[in-house]
Order: sequence, then C-alpha cells, then structure tokens
Amino acid sequence: MSPNSAGRAEKLGYTNVKVYHEGLPEWLKKNYAVLSTQFLKEAWVDKGIPHVLLDVRSAKDAEKGFIKGAVTLPAAAVEKSLAKFPPKDKKAPIMIYDAKGGDDAQKAAKALIAAGYMPVDIVTGGFDAWKTAGYPVETGKLAENIVYVAKPRPGEISIEDFTRIAMNTPSDVLILDVRNQDEGNAGMIKGAKLIPDEELDSRMAEVPKDKKVIAHCSTGTRAEMSYHKLKEKGYNVQFLAANVEVDKDGKFTITK
Amino acid sequence: MLLKRLISIGSATVMVLGLAITVGQAVAQEKAAAPAAPQVKPTIAKLCTNCHQAEPGTLRGNFDSVAYKSQSIQIKIDDVTEILKFDKEKLQLVNIPPFAESPSESLYSLKRGKEIRIAYTEKDGVKFATLVSGKTSIKVAPEKLMTTADMEKLIAMGPEKGKYLLIDARPAPRFMEGSIPTAVNIPFAAFDKMTEKLPKDKNALIIYYCAGVT
Repeated sequence: MSPNSAGRAEKLGYTNVKVYHEGLPEWLKKNYAVLSTQFLKEAWVDKGIPHVLLDVRSAKDAEKGFIKGAVTLPAAAVEKSLAKFPPKDKKAPIMIYDAKGGDDAQKAAKALIAAGYMPVDIVTGGFDAWKTAGYPVETGKLAENIVYVAKPRPGEISIEDFTRIAMNTPSDVLILDVRNQDEGNAGMIKGAKLIPDEELDSRMAEVPKDKKVIAHCSTGTRAEMSYHKLKEKGYNVQFLAANVEVDKDGKFTITK
Repeated sequence: MLLKRLISIGSATVMVLGLAITVGQAVAQEKAAAPAAPQVKPTIAKLCTNCHQAEPGTLRGNFDSVAYKSQSIQIKIDDVTEILKFDKEKLQLVNIPPFAESPSESLYSLKRGKEIRIAYTEKDGVKFATLVSGKTSIKVAPEKLMTTADMEKLIAMGPEKGKYLLIDARPAPRFMEGSIPTAVNIPFAAFDKMTEKLPKDKNALIIYYCAGVT
C-alpha cells in the first residue's frame, strides 16, 4: 500500500516522496509504536482484543486511579520482571502507560524491546489523557500478574475442554479424527471416529447430526478445514487448534 | 429489505417463519426462493479490489493454511473461509518461495495472511485449486527507500525539525492499533478523499509506510 500511495502522491506533483518499505513490522523490532487513549479504548479495550496493559507508575499512584485491566509494574521493575511476561513468540501486544506518556513509559518500553518483545506500544498522554477524555477509571488494588490468552480462532475449543471431553466422551459428543488412515492406525483417542479430512465431503453422511462434533488432527490445520466444511453443512462443531499425538493405547499428548 | 436479509441468513429461519405469517404472500414467495439460491460467497477480498477485480474461477484473499496430508488449502476472503482441494502433483505454484525442508510442499513456506490468488475449477460443489500465486512485492527505486535507521533519526527530531510528513497508508482499524510515532493516517483506499491532508509545498518530504513488504 505504501508504494502505491507514494506513486499517487507523485502524480499530484510531489517531488520528494519516500517509502519506508520495511514498514511497521521492522520498526517494531527496535522501537515502540504509539496510540492515543481513544484508540486504546476503541481498538483494544472495547473490542476485548487480548493484550497486556501495563501501568508503570508507582503502585501507590496507580491505586488512586487506573485503566481497567491494567497490571501494575513500576517502570524501574520491568527489566527484572521479564519472567512475568508471556513468551516472546506469542507476540502479545504490550500497551504501556505512565502518568503523562513520558520517560517512565519509554523506559519500560525500551527494556521490553531490548529483551525481544514486540509489539510494544506507548499510550500517548498516559493516564492523565485517559482521565481527561472522561473514560472510566478504576481504583484500588491492581493486578500484579500478567494474564494473556491469545484470541481463539472461530470454532476453536480450548485444550482444557478438549482434554476433559476426550478423557471421557459424553454420549452426545463425537470426537472426529480427521487424520489419514495410516496415522489413525498408529493410535486413536478412545471412542473417536476417523474420517480423513480429504474424504469428509463424500463421507459426511457418516457424521451424526444429533451430536456435537469435535474435530482434531495432528496439528490443527486439517481439523480447522473439517470444521469449516461441517459448519457449512449445519453441524454443531468445534475443532482443536493444537498438536496431538496418540499412542497405541489411545493415550494422547496435546501441545500448542 | 430487512426481511430479505433475514431470509438470506440460514440460521434465522425461525424468525422468518414468524414474520411470514404476518406479512403474507410476498414473504412466502421469497422464502420459497431462498433455498434454491445458494449463498453467494465473495471471490475477492476487499483489500485486493484496490488493484484487481473479481474474475470467474479465481479467488483472491489471504492465505490461511495448507494441509498436504489432505491436499487442501484454506484461504480467507475477508470474513469468509474457503477450502479447496488440490492435486499435489499438478498444482501450479507461482511466486511461492521454495520450502527448503520439503520442496514439493512449498505452500508450507507461506505465512498466514499472505495475499494469494487461486485459480480453480468446481465440480459437484467442491472447489479444486489448479494454481496458487503469491502476490509479488512492489519494487521501490533505491533512492526513494528509507531505512529503519533513517526513520529513527527523523522521528527523534520530530516532524517540525525533521521537516517531514509521515503517512501510515494502512486501513484505519490497523492504524488505531498502534503506529509509528508522529504518523498520520491516510489509508491507501481513501487517498483521493484525503488529499487535503498532504502538505501545500509540493517539495516537502513525504514518507509513506504500511505493514511492510507483502
């Protein structure tokens, strides 16, 4: 989009148009991004999109008024608290605010970026701007532990729910194993039915309509495709977006 | 119009029935016609319409996943998911980087979200992909390129001292999630509507960025 926009600007007669083609993903490897309090509220908080919200003021100041969902972690403590954060490869978006969007937020952001976290965003104007905008403020104790659960894909069942059901499948649920026959031969979850994802379109009649269907495969990829096929035909279906290994006795291991 | 919408959504059948009794003939006819007309799925994502148009036998959208074990590819066209089968031996790949670990399964090299075009044939309601083509990145002349180091220097100075206008060309919802400091948002799709945001001085430095080389 940026080269196209640049081309359009040049057509309007602009003579000094440049493109930062590597763009935001590259920028975020070494730098923080920014967002306004309005954008924090509308694009993240109101939409319930998973993120980590850090209040880097002193705990004493924060308790007098903070943004809902914020975790207290004074700026000076960020560097030695890295173990509290979700693993880097989860790429959990981290939003940081201080009193006014100043040095404390920058210090915290720099510590996180130096440790390899991204994306890291600073809330422009900090808590003062949030309060001035008239947005809701909470008081009292802030959370101290960071909890981050990535947003599930549509139709995704949690590993906990899947495990519980697969250990003892109720009669109104069908575990559908959509791996290939040779994979199934090496071991299947007890009570599961195997229809390879490839064959699902032609064998859909074998899937009972009166049961809740939970699809799994070895990585979650084929299970998700099966989910969409069944969903389109009106089935009550979910799928497991995780790696599954099943041994000869039906014992299974799930990893994300 | 509202009634029509309700009918077009399969899961709203119960509501439609309730309404049909009170509204009578016209609705009843529409209801009868509804199952015959299959739900029309989009074949091109909104973003792709910046440069392309819908074509028969072609899907344009974002790559989602591939399963070589079931020879299926999943593509996302805005909110709709399409799954196509393919024949591993015959599927043509264009502008898809080779997958080093298994060159015959190079779709594994694609990242989720990559813009792709799929040519397909359809039989008995099952779409069969014959070609998958990755979007090629647009080349920018080297003298027009800014590096991350260039950007860091300018942004540390700020737009006034650095004498620049930094423009984020992504759609507004992406911009709202966070942007490079000092950037203003002029989405590519809204370029014509927002020309007043550009500087008066045609020699002023304008820098565009987006979500990177895709």
